[in-house]
Amino acid sequence: MDSSLMDKLKILADSAKYDVSCSTSGVERKNVGRMGNASCAGICHSWSADGRCISLLKVLFTNKCVYDCQYCVNRRSVDVERASFEPAELAELTMEFYRRNYIEGLFLSSAVEVSPDYTAERILHCLSILRYEYGFAGYIHAKIIPGVSQELTHAIGMVADRLSVNIELPTEESLQRLAPQKKARAIFAPMKQITNTLIEQKSLKGPGTMFKGQNLNNPLNYLNPEGRELIQPEGANADIGDGSLYQMGSPAGNALIREARYKYKEKFAPAGQTTQMIIGAGTETDSQIVKTSESLYRSFKMKRVYFSAYIPVTDSPLLPSVFTAPPLIREHRLYQADWLLRFYGFTADEMFTKEEPNLDLDLDPKITWALRNINLFPIEINKASMEELLRIPGVGTVSALRIVRQRKVAAVKYDDLKKMGVVLKRAKFFLTCSGKYYGEKDLMPEYIKGKILEPCRIKSRLLPINDETQISMFSPGAFSLGAPQQSKSKRSLESNGGLLI
Amino acid sequence: MVDYLYDGSFEGFLTCIYYHYYEEKAAGIFTFDNYQPSILNTFVEIKTQGDKAAKVYDAIGQKISPYDLQRIYRVFLSTVINREMLLLNYIRLGFKQGSKIRLLHGNPYVSPVEKAEKKVTAEVHRILGLLRFSVLEGEVLYAVLEPDHDILEFLADHFTDRYKNEPFIIHDKRRGKALVAQGGEWYITDFTEKNLPHISQNEKEYRALWKKYFETIAIKERTNPKCQKNFMPVRYWKHLTEI
Ligand code: SF4
Repeated sequence: MDSSLMDKLKILADSAKYDVSCSTSGVERKNVGRMGNASCAGICHSWSADGRCISLLKVLFTNKCVYDCQYCVNRRSVDVERASFEPAELAELTMEFYRRNYIEGLFLSSAVEVSPDYTAERILHCLSILRYEYGFAGYIHAKIIPGVSQELTHAIGMVADRLSVNIELPTEESLQRLAPQKKARAIFAPMKQITNTLIEQKSLKGPGTMFKGQNLNNPLNYLNPEGRELIQPEGANADIGDGSLYQMGSPAGNALIREARYKYKEKFAPAGQTTQMIIGAGTETDSQIVKTSESLYRSFKMKRVYFSAYIPVTDSPLLPSVFTAPPLIREHRLYQADWLLRFYGFTADEMFTKEEPNLDLDLDPKITWALRNINLFPIEINKASMEELLRIPGVGTVSALRIVRQRKVAAVKYDDLKKMGVVLKRAKFFLTCSGKYYGEKDLMPEYIKGKILEPCRIKSRLLPINDETQISMFSPGAFSLGAPQQSKSKRSLESNGGLLI
Repeated sequence: MVDYLYDGSFEGFLTCIYYHYYEEKAAGIFTFDNYQPSILNTFVEIKTQGDKAAKVYDAIGQKISPYDLQRIYRVFLSTVINREMLLLNYIRLGFKQGSKIRLLHGNPYVSPVEKAEKKVTAEVHRILGLLRFSVLEGEVLYAVLEPDHDILEFLADHFTDRYKNEPFIIHDKRRGKALVAQGGEWYITDFTEKNLPHISQNEKEYRALWKKYFETIAIKERTNPKCQKNFMPVRYWKHLTEI
């Protein structure tokens, strides 16, 4: 074995560790190659010292970068150790780790060595070795670097399960300031291409339950045929550029990359696409961030938008100082808000008011919303619809479903709720059970807030396991938020049959 | 009321259920080796009888549901205290309620069984990830575990699918048995690590690489050992390569 492999692994894992979008959900596959399968439920193989789950070998293909993004440890102008994998070398390493059941597959991101296309070609080479030569049928998540050609994007999509193009910053203004070489248009072009290809092969699935019952694979959802435009939420960077936007080729187009060649997987990115945003490097508000995510969900039908608390790596006048603690609680609250978007039927607009463009760091966003809308409560457990049940703080999707199911055979009693997974500590203030209220006192927002905050730290049950792990010992208020940015133009969200296009 | 003693097999347990219905009501069901005779109850040793077991087995599948049959089996393979009695109560209620028993989440006979089942399925899920294989000489994959519950056979489908063409052994050291599989076929057998081949040439190097990866990937600004232990209980660490 090449003795330098250890060094490469160290350098290239080290620089990939801040990438958070590491999950294996969304594709279920029996072994159709020679080795491997993929499990929809997601299997975690280990938990690192920071409490995050390890399910994939997460590395950069190279950290030699020609760009100079301010927030990044690998930008051209810093002096760090540099390394690149050889395609065959990384393929073999992945295979051997996989055989030993260390990982579910590969999460491959990369800096930009020479050019986006040069890097993407080498990545494609590596993934092709894995799929063809080893017959690997495990999970592959590949990053698409903005600026990569359509052909390469497509070819990588044919060997990967999931693709992601990182949006990095939630507003165009931040992007210009902190990552001047990255252009919004270059980021949205491959996103659009991916969405369109998924529609074309009829496998587009939206996030969570957001588009429940809707047929997303309708040609009407193609992005930018006949000049359909994204409606831009205020301050959010949802511009998909103009003019030379990606157009779907004719089905007879490029035979080479359309042909379903591989036995193990004939589909383009069956686990869909995701993206990631850095939180706290720019000055945007939570409202802008959540609106941008909502817009990404509604337009591109992303499976997930991930948030990554900015960990200061450099002293730059453009960025929070290196002594700033990473905004982990804020990140946690954003994940909760995201959860409300994807599974609970909330919209971004409902979660914020003009006066409060940021999420409350002390309370989970569902409670904040409930306290602001206290007139809607209490909700009667034995009568409420699924949608209403989901609005009760402390009631999750699983417990709501159980309530609805049990109601068909027997009335739900207060004592049953706990066994069904309802967090009564919070929920009791917002519900009645066969007409009886259990919340000690009246429905007074201030009183309830005090009561809920009493146990000091609320452990939210809203989050999926992986995200929950990202909360840490930083106490609320230990870091400061950037000043909210004044939004220039104000446009409201408009929906066209539920879609923002 | 009488205590039934059986040999610890699922068939033996089902035979006891048979006697509960056709002979005398059970005060308790215990395995031979765990039983502490008391002055309060008399006990009867039950010989496992295939035909009686099969009768109960079919009755559960038909009168309750195939799903519940599986659930009962999973809980039977757990190490939850007094699992036989929890299951007897569940089965009794099941014969009255039929397949809707699984919706009665709040019922005192249902919820402990539900909980026990969850423990088993959670451990299975955990082990799917936490199992570490070593490549032995001759390219045999070998993994050791000491699970809380007797879950070996629940691992079979997942790994036989994954390693279609590679022989592998999953060794439950605690119970002295192993799942042995090759080419999609598997069986469970008594097992000790005696006469096992040595680890292969590359094995040490890949272990070192994995260890290095594991150390590197943690973000030190976010160190959170409590969280780590929460998801990956320390009792499993012994057999992890990376720790
Ligand atoms: S392109 Fe990627 S790797 Fe290069 S500097 Fe920007 S963020 Fe860092």
